[in-house]
Amino acid sequence: IHPTGKLFVLSDGEGKHATVELSEPLDEEISGILEVVGRVTSQATIMCMSYVQFREDKSPFDLELYNEALKIIHEFPEYFPFG
Amino acid sequence: QRARSQNIVPCTVSQLLAAEQVDETFRIRDVEISQVTIMGIIRHAEKAPTNILYKVDDMTAAPMDVRQWVDTDEAGGENVVVPPGTYVKVAGHLRSFQNKKSLVAFKIMPLENMNEFTTHILEIVNAHMILRKNLMVSSRMPQSLSSAGIGDVGSYRGGGSLPVNGLTAHQSQVLNLIKNCPVAEGMSLQELKFQLHNISMATIKQAVEFLSSEGHIYSTVDDDHYKSTDAE
Repeated sequence: IHPTGKLFVLSDGEGKHATVELSEPLDEEISGILEVVGRVTSQATIMCMSYVQFREDKSPFDLELYNEALKIIHEFPEYFPFG
Repeated sequence: QRARSQNIVPCTVSQLLAAEQVDETFRIRDVEISQVTIMGIIRHAEKAPTNILYKVDDMTAAPMDVRQWVDTDEAGGENVVVPPGTYVKVAGHLRSFQNKKSLVAFKIMPLENMNEFTTHILEIVNAHMILRKNLMVSSRMPQSLSSAGIGDVGSYRGGGSLPVNGLTAHQSQVLNLIKNCPVAEGMSLQELKFQLHNISMATIKQAVEFLSSEGHIYSTVDDDHYKSTDAE
């Protein structure tokens, strides 16, 4: 997380990094798995509109598996439409 | 009397919104659905005397209205409102009122393990694929083997009316070779590889698996021999 609190870097299921920008600096400490909803900018960063922290108190989240699942659902738009 | 769908089918909100309604039945691409599960995050919760109205968002479409009836005789447990920002699994019935779709939930469970989300999205693709395959298979055999109790499949005739645009070039080539094979036990994988020498065995096997799961071909003497379901 950047010192100003307006930027942080996420690492996905394949180890690739994405930079997330916020309109307001973070007002809390966050760590772990985050789901960010936002728009892709022309500089290939994500302008964050909202984020949610995944619960990992009972079991850890398998990010690589989730990444694989995403690839599969994109292969079958007829069974997983994005309206 | 048409058999109702006995299944509970995992779906995306976008699928539910796109479902077509004929009389009392909903269909998603010809697969009949009634009871469904969706998984998403609660964006809004509104408590009324007899029910709780949630808006559940699974990112495939706008958040969907999910209504949970509250048992006014029983106190405790059932009437606790799930807070917005929680990921939940909803099991319920699809409803449509004045062209607006919603769900009536019989169970809303907060997710404790987010890996369930990964499972859910894979189950959606799997379930819809299998249910559609059952539809195609049962249009060829007099006794329906599908457990989904699908009624009218008259829209699926055999042979030429099958859409070919769902197949890749490799899949089409494999299918055509199998279709034209005159041998009783069908075309073997080795024969396919021999005929399609520019395609790898792995690709041929993938094509065969896809065609088989879509109902275009079936295995005969063993898993290496296939015949087309369109053959005369």
